[in-house]
Amino acid sequence: MELAVVGNGEFVTGFRLAGIRKVHEANDNELESTVRSILEDPKVGILIMHENDLKKLPEILKLKLNESVEPTVVTLGGTGESSNLRDKIKQSVGVDLWK
Amino acid sequence: MGATEVKPTRSELIEIKKKIKLSESGHKLLKMKRDGLILEFFEILNQAKDVRSELDAAYEEANTKIGIAKAVEGTISVKSTAFALSDEPDIELESNNIMGVVVPKIKSTSVSKPMNKRGYGILGTSSYIDEAAEAYEILVEKIILAAEIETTIKKLLDDIEKTKRRVNALEFKVIPELTESMTFIKLRLEEMERENTFRLKKIKDKAE
Repeated sequence: MELAVVGNGEFVTGFRLAGIRKVHEANDNELESTVRSILEDPKVGILIMHENDLKKLPEILKLKLNESVEPTVVTLGGTGESSNLRDKIKQSVGVDLWK
Repeated sequence: MGATEVKPTRSELIEIKKKIKLSESGHKLLKMKRDGLILEFFEILNQAKDVRSELDAAYEEANTKIGIAKAVEGTISVKSTAFALSDEPDIELESNNIMGVVVPKIKSTSVSKPMNKRGYGILGTSSYIDEAAEAYEILVEKIILAAEIETTIKKLLDDIEKTKRRVNALEFKVIPELTESMTFIKLRLEEMERENTFRLKKIKDKAE
């Protein structure tokens, strides 16, 4: 399986340097369709995105990405992922354990 | 099913008693599963916190390094070097079982490479680009680790929630309803027995 990166030119260049091939440069308008096409790609195991890009997506797609296991979505920048997990922990366990 | 909707018969009473016994043993097992899952979750939670902070630090570092490389070499030079890379990191997804929850175990191959194996010419590029590439390789390694741990946490949380719902449904809905039905049948049977005794007494009085 492979890793995929979606984001603007600034964000994705570094990942190309690390050898990742599935690098999708996308502006705000193309973001949603690019993410949807990656979700349908069975070869992608991990999807890397910037937190700010994730926030731009529609709420339903965001929810789908947060729940998705294959591919797993890892966001960088900001504290978004931890707050997503934090909400999930609060909901499931009933106590905020992410402190 | 309401408590008064059951047939007040002895066979129904036996059936309900069996159901209560089964629900109680199921409830006990599910409670144990929930506690076990929460213990597992606590162990992984600390790892997840560490990995997240390491990941953020690695991203900061990689961002700074590529910023310097772009400032010194120019964006086009960095981009052209990035396009020259040939070797792609590959990941393998295996599954691991934690108390019935299937969680992924991600194995990665060849993320960190020695400088001369990256695919671009060493002489044509500066050390800033090498440093940026190295920082991003470290970042990708951390991302792979974070993906594994965060997915495990997500799946564990889903299962904890599901198990908790089942435990609560059994504890507060199924078992109380069954117990109520059992009490209703018992009382109804006693009442029927009393009615019968009274009837027999009346018949005996008439016969005399």
